[in-house]
Amino acid sequence: MNTETTDPTPEETPAAAEAAAAPVRDVTAAVGPHALFLVIATIGFAALAAVFLFLPRSTYSELEKRDLAQFPPIETFGDDPAAYTAAVSGWFSDSEPFRDDFMSLSMNFRNLVQMQLPMGDEEEAVTFRPATTAPADARADGIPGGADPNLEADNPLANENAKVANAGIIIVGTGPNVRALMGFRAEPGATRPYVNLLNDLAEAMPSVQVYSMAVPLATEFYVPDKARSVTRPEKPCLDYIRNNVSSKVKFVDVYAALAPHVSEDIYLRTDHHWAPLGAFYAARELAHTAGVPFRELTDYDKHVIRGYVGSMYGYSKDIAVKNAPEDFYYWTPRGVDAKTTYVTYRTNKDYQIVSESAPYAGQFFHKFGDGSGNAYLTFMGGDQHLVKVVTGVPGSRKLLIVKDSYGNPIPSFLFYSFSEIHVVDFRYFKKNLKDYVAANHITDLTVAFNIFSASSASATGKVRAFMSQHGGVTAPPAKAAEKKSDSTAEKKTEKKAEPKAEPKSEKKPQKPAEPAPSAEPVPAPEPAPAPAEPATAE
Amino acid sequence: MVFSDLLFIFVFLPLFALCYGGATGVDRLRRHSSAELSRPMLWRNIVMVLFSLLFYSWGEPVYILLMLLAVAVNYACGLGIAASRHKKLWLVLGVAADLAILGTFKYLGFFAGAIAEFGVPVDVPEIALPIGISFYIFQSISYLVDVYRGQSPVQRNFLDLLLYIAMFPQLIAGPIVRYDTVAREINHRTVAARDVAQGSYRFFIGLAKKVVFANILGEVATQLMGGDLSGLSTAGAWVGILAFALQIYFDFSGYSDMAIGLGRCVGFHFPENFDHPYTCTSMTDFWRKWHMSLGSFFRDYVYIPMGGNRRHQALNIMVVWFLTGMWHGASWNFIIWGLYFGLIIMIEKYTLLRWRIPRPLLHLYSIFLLLIGWGIFYFDDMGRMQQFFTALFGMSGAQGFPLDVQTLITDNFWIWVGALMLCLPLRRKVADAAERMVAARQSHAGAYLLQFSRAIIALAILIISVALLVGATNNAFIYTRF
Repeated sequence: MNTETTDPTPEETPAAAEAAAAPVRDVTAAVGPHALFLVIATIGFAALAAVFLFLPRSTYSELEKRDLAQFPPIETFGDDPAAYTAAVSGWFSDSEPFRDDFMSLSMNFRNLVQMQLPMGDEEEAVTFRPATTAPADARADGIPGGADPNLEADNPLANENAKVANAGIIIVGTGPNVRALMGFRAEPGATRPYVNLLNDLAEAMPSVQVYSMAVPLATEFYVPDKARSVTRPEKPCLDYIRNNVSSKVKFVDVYAALAPHVSEDIYLRTDHHWAPLGAFYAARELAHTAGVPFRELTDYDKHVIRGYVGSMYGYSKDIAVKNAPEDFYYWTPRGVDAKTTYVTYRTNKDYQIVSESAPYAGQFFHKFGDGSGNAYLTFMGGDQHLVKVVTGVPGSRKLLIVKDSYGNPIPSFLFYSFSEIHVVDFRYFKKNLKDYVAANHITDLTVAFNIFSASSASATGKVRAFMSQHGGVTAPPAKAAEKKSDSTAEKKTEKKAEPKAEPKSEKKPQKPAEPAPSAEPVPAPEPAPAPAEPATAE
Repeated sequence: MVFSDLLFIFVFLPLFALCYGGATGVDRLRRHSSAELSRPMLWRNIVMVLFSLLFYSWGEPVYILLMLLAVAVNYACGLGIAASRHKKLWLVLGVAADLAILGTFKYLGFFAGAIAEFGVPVDVPEIALPIGISFYIFQSISYLVDVYRGQSPVQRNFLDLLLYIAMFPQLIAGPIVRYDTVAREINHRTVAARDVAQGSYRFFIGLAKKVVFANILGEVATQLMGGDLSGLSTAGAWVGILAFALQIYFDFSGYSDMAIGLGRCVGFHFPENFDHPYTCTSMTDFWRKWHMSLGSFFRDYVYIPMGGNRRHQALNIMVVWFLTGMWHGASWNFIIWGLYFGLIIMIEKYTLLRWRIPRPLLHLYSIFLLLIGWGIFYFDDMGRMQQFFTALFGMSGAQGFPLDVQTLITDNFWIWVGALMLCLPLRRKVADAAERMVAARQSHAGAYLLQFSRAIIALAILIISVALLVGATNNAFIYTRF
């Protein structure tokens, strides 16, 4: 049993030792030194308290890309006092002044207490971009008609060090070449709904050539051997799709198109998307498969957005990602006089579509400055639109791309290939797909999904519903008025936004997590709905 | 409210300091105006009581009434013990009332559920546990017993008794301060600069233990043991339970440090609650170093009255350990946990404590049994506990050292190292050595330097803790739910 007498020295108090050793005029008991402690501590504490109490509170966190908690309205106190006091505490610790600076300090502290691991075995692995072209490149160049389906990618990061961060995100390497990868968990059979969807689309629209375009995640190419156990291979899923689509569906082998280029920047390191360059190789593969003309990058103007840090920072909460910004390259076709028309969908808080705008003209490419976290919105300004591009290229082939956000950069490389490109996001479309295809004389239809969406029954189910829905916005009838006011409000903001590229809309859209009821695994590979309107068109 | 809430640190504490300072001034004026004051701390005590009630009602606005009721009952019974010839009757009445409150709000649902499982049709009430109830009820019992035994005079002032039971520094998670420890200080306490300096330094040390060590290691423990256990590897189970062992130590001893430090700032001397428990050489030793205020409570109010070592010692031990387990929560795993220690301690009495065994072996033995104990403690779901122990002993789950487990170690490497170091009495030895050096040389410069460096450490802790607390929502101390 317990005794206090067994051990005369209680923990953490020097008082006992002092008391025992204290002569009458012991300096350790003198007032002066303790007063010094109190003065310094009080000044420091008071300064910090003043910051917390008197400086304006933060309302939005750029780091987390979210609005911060607000002071709970006093009227709600009576409903549940305990919850109210908790909300006040939550508000106080959520919206403090300099929140993002404190957060950065905290993440830097967490970084400091890490064991600094040595990097990969070889220098090449560290610099990540081998100086010479890998033999794999030669292989691909030798096969002009299409990529080799039996190809296995050589993972340049196989020997890299890795760790698992928040939300199961794999962080590869250290320093400026850190790469964040999403874990993938689905079994090949999970792509069955996607396969069925493609087969049924082909069946329902015999005049249209349907393509399967499932895109692997960066994880498939870059997961180090060390981290293989925390993710599942995606190739079996892709093979499953290839082996199960009907003869009416053409399988575009995106994996084989990308594999020879793993030493290039085909995926973004800090974002959950691929890079436009990856979309280029996939678009080339689609063009080959479809038998349409295709132009190499030499016919494009190259642009760069420097200092880009994508969504993986918010997901992983690992400062190493923030400290490794990358360059975002994209290409615009030279000498093409394309006309882009948008129909924009507005959603309510629950991500239900509440309004559909009238078609309006805009630019396909949106311009973002260096350091913008929204570089990926360059293409069509994001997902919330139905887009029609009349490329001005003569010909009868008209392409419809049904896509998730991975599909966004694809059309930018197909302006030379099709006379019209229509882009439908699987979350934002209210017309009937068959009617739309017929009315616009679509000849080719591809469903460009990343492997997450392709193995999600919910995502494919939404596209399936496109075949039976009959236009109109499905806002509850009672809210018809709201719908109207919504769309007018939208027009107002549109007008307002047009003259200046307002900084707010540039920051807000890419929230780290999409609360929409999508079936996509965490972290959702789709960014949240796009920024308000194509206001920043170049 | 909890100590590691930014609202507590930056709103509650400064407000309290201002009001308490003002009250000190008022009390001084009163002393100047009249020579003999029966209650020289009146205004300070009023301020403390008001802030304590605010502290408690923040988050528990309803159960504050329950606490006030408990204090009123104990106040009446205390007067009864002092005034009546039937002292024992009043004692029994008071203790029974305390246990009835505790039983209703902490154990009724559990017992009803247990009875219902045997097929007896009873309603199982769902009662939310009032925070800190186990602590303040035990303090109430201590008050009644100490008055009954004549160790302390009865408290005739309701406000002062309320202050003893509801005092915010130790209200919700101890240490369990016995009445005779602080009875005198309620109305006669002095505070020197040294008390405030050492008390606030102690508070910051506790803050660091909680925010830097307990919270971060708690994340590790939750990541490994909080979710689906089917994929848990053997290495993951060991790392997870070690993380939890460190988390609970730093969480609870950090809270005790903060409580003792705050108490010191206002002139109270609360008992120490921990003495580097993970350096123990046996389970008997562990319980002399862990949650000492609970152990001594059971020793003095249960074990010894039951006969201690003199009569049916085995029974006494098992009763005490059953109660210790029960005290932690109305759940089978806590009862098993208590009996587990009771059994080991009984066996130790006849074996380990009589043998000569090299110390390193004793440490290994103790750590091993402790970790097993924490495994029992952690899982209140028996199925999950079984799953965990199967993984722990390598009978299921992945072998080897999976990447996520590696990452949890490397990502928090210096936290692990620091935590393990702080389990040893190194910090105290360094601090004592510094004090002794200054004292031996009677060096004023040394004394100033020592306090200066402490102030810097305190501010560094404050800034880092605040940064780590920003945006953190769930900060509750583990022991506030017991």
